Amino acid sequence: MIRTRQPILSPLAGILICLAAVFALSRSMVAQGKTESACVSCHRARAESQPRTPMGRALALPGSNPVLKDIPKLTVRKGLYTYTVETVATHGGESTYSVSDGTRTITVPIHWYFGAGAQTWVLERDGQQYESAVSYYPSIPGLDFTTGDEDLKPKNLDEAIGRPIELRETKVCFGCHATNAVTNGKMTYETLRPGVTCEHCHAGTTAHLADAINGDFDSAPPDLRKKSAEDISNFCGQCHRTWETAVRNHWRGELTVRFQPYRLANSRCFDGADPRISCVACHDPHQDIVLQDSAYDAPCLACHSSSAAAASVSSTAASDKAQTHARFCPTAKSECVSCHMPKVKLPNGHLTFTDHQIRIVKPGEPFPN
Amino acid sequence: MYMAAVGAASTRMGINLWWNCSSRAKPGLRLTLLTLVLLSRWCAAQANPASFSDVVAKATAARDANDLPGAIELYQQALKLNSQWPDGWWFLGSLQYGTGDYAAARDALTHYLELTPNAAPALAMRGLCEFEIGDYSASLRDIERALAQGAANQPRNEKILRYHEALLLTRTGRFEDALRIYAFFTHDEDSNPELLLALGLAGLRTPLLPKELRADQQELYISAGKAVFDFMRHDLDATRAEFQQLFTRVPAVPNAHYLYGYLLYASDADGAVVEFKKELDVNPANAVAEVMLAWIPLMQNDGITALPHARKAVAEDPALPSAQLVLGRALTETGDKDGIQHLETTVQLQPDNLEVHLALTKAYSKFGRKEDARRERLLCLEMTKNDTNPTTHP
Repeated sequence: MIRTRQPILSPLAGILICLAAVFALSRSMVAQGKTESACVSCHRARAESQPRTPMGRALALPGSNPVLKDIPKLTVRKGLYTYTVETVATHGGESTYSVSDGTRTITVPIHWYFGAGAQTWVLERDGQQYESAVSYYPSIPGLDFTTGDEDLKPKNLDEAIGRPIELRETKVCFGCHATNAVTNGKMTYETLRPGVTCEHCHAGTTAHLADAINGDFDSAPPDLRKKSAEDISNFCGQCHRTWETAVRNHWRGELTVRFQPYRLANSRCFDGADPRISCVACHDPHQDIVLQDSAYDAPCLACHSSSAAAASVSSTAASDKAQTHARFCPTAKSECVSCHMPKVKLPNGHLTFTDHQIRIVKPGEPFPN
Repeated sequence: MYMAAVGAASTRMGINLWWNCSSRAKPGLRLTLLTLVLLSRWCAAQANPASFSDVVAKATAARDANDLPGAIELYQQALKLNSQWPDGWWFLGSLQYGTGDYAAARDALTHYLELTPNAAPALAMRGLCEFEIGDYSASLRDIERALAQGAANQPRNEKILRYHEALLLTRTGRFEDALRIYAFFTHDEDSNPELLLALGLAGLRTPLLPKELRADQQELYISAGKAVFDFMRHDLDATRAEFQQLFTRVPAVPNAHYLYGYLLYASDADGAVVEFKKELDVNPANAVAEVMLAWIPLMQNDGITALPHARKAVAEDPALPSAQLVLGRALTETGDKDGIQHLETTVQLQPDNLEVHLALTKAYSKFGRKEDARRERLLCLEMTKNDTNPTTHP
């Protein structure tokens, strides 16, 4: 039997063939603009879990909206007007939004479904976009005024449809709830992909993929975990609202509980240079939000406990800070957030947020501004 | 001009005004103060039992008869008899203002303000006197104080005061502040050449009063002012047309592209960038255009793009606070602690500028100065606490 070198080369060739296949697939996906699919080839766990998070589902298109799929008809009367949202399964799950004053009815198709739980719709009528006057709240479950629009006083049926939104605000809405919605400052519906995908946060993903195919990893997007707590707050705050944005706009009151970076920065313990208090110290944006209070004990105890917990934080900056111990809680050593980060209901009563202004909450105290 | 506006109020001035101005004092203190005033009047009257009250009566009669020269002379006589009579100084000052004797009116109102500090109408009128005699820095100071203390209590008064304030802000180089104030006039006023000229001066960043501008330049400034006026009335098509005409007619007019970019910025940042770059083509040393080219990426936390523009802005005009601000912010964004130094310099120049404190908060926080950051945060929250606008929530 003639021995060839082939059996020796086969494993290597197999690996190369596999890699070539992966890269060919990635290249094809890059070419098609499906970067998040291409990301799976190297970052499988995160790329697969992230689309299932609320951020990944921040925007849905007709026919892919799980919230309304099981509720064919929603209706509510608000003042002089009756609002109805109907979803017809036979039409690919498309929904319509109607407002009626009893004599006349305006009906428009819903093109954009904003939100993974509570849902608001961006509507279009005669070339003008509107934020729907009513939204769907799972806690009711049903329709009520869109948060923040409760005080609108429509003068007629045309105004009752919702709040007109200008192009600048449209870019902000889609810029946060979708990926590649805004290119060079312009709305680009043709490149828009619903929800927050890899490229939304990891700028330069496309170039990284293209270079990685050629074995060049120098252009990998910066590791966001290496940012300071201040920088991470400002990064996440591009959508969740930075402290600076809230102050510049003079936003106060309970509605600001929605703006976690703002609330967090108001905490006495916030230190912009300490990674133990950064957004990603508690939250993995690639995973669904964790609802168990005890899950957040470790980040709290990284500061409010003996050095053992603090030393578990691995970065250099954290090590510098590890010697800084905050006061220990005399009451409990678990489920810290249940006391120190109270849940706050928005004035409409339909949405509840965790207040990220970490503090010793005194009974009966007003919402701290 | 102002006298007519405050005429009705002026007849109720004097002790009533003084009482109103003192209304924040505790009741006991008010009573004591009132007693002292009445006592001093009584003493004055006893010292000059006939003459003072006679002169006051004659002065009042002359004023009621619109005999301005006679009334002025009588008030002067009365004040020689009792220089601690606040009403006398007020009436004398306002009458002198009415006759155009602004220097004398200023002096009389100064006496009045010594006796009744923080009386908003007197501060306002003295500010207008100072404007007329060319003491512009004192004028701006008084008018701003007057407005802060409620002198804009009637629409006509507010228009007069705000218009003069905007003229003075323009003259002192606070062009953006001036434009914000002029926006007040575009809500319900038709354009007139006087207003358009003033708008044009602020828009084209020319630190002059309208009367100081050469006659042959007025058309250009009115044209720029018209563009600003149309913008403030939300007529964007007319604004665009005005600017295109301006650029065609005088391609190299300094600050015109900057102005258009500045107006566009809020709604079209990319369009604004184009205009700022065009401004630099025309006027390469324009520091404020560089400032805006730095500011726009800084609002996206992009320090790398901002930094060269910020450095150039400071190189062109190191004394420009906004240039120091953007350089401080750009350095902070790029991880350079030197940014703090620039921001601390800027806060010395503009202690009331929220943007500087916001930038300083971020810089302190980012570089681990936790307590300094905390102090700045609380200061920013304090600066904005009385101006909440929950309806602007996104």
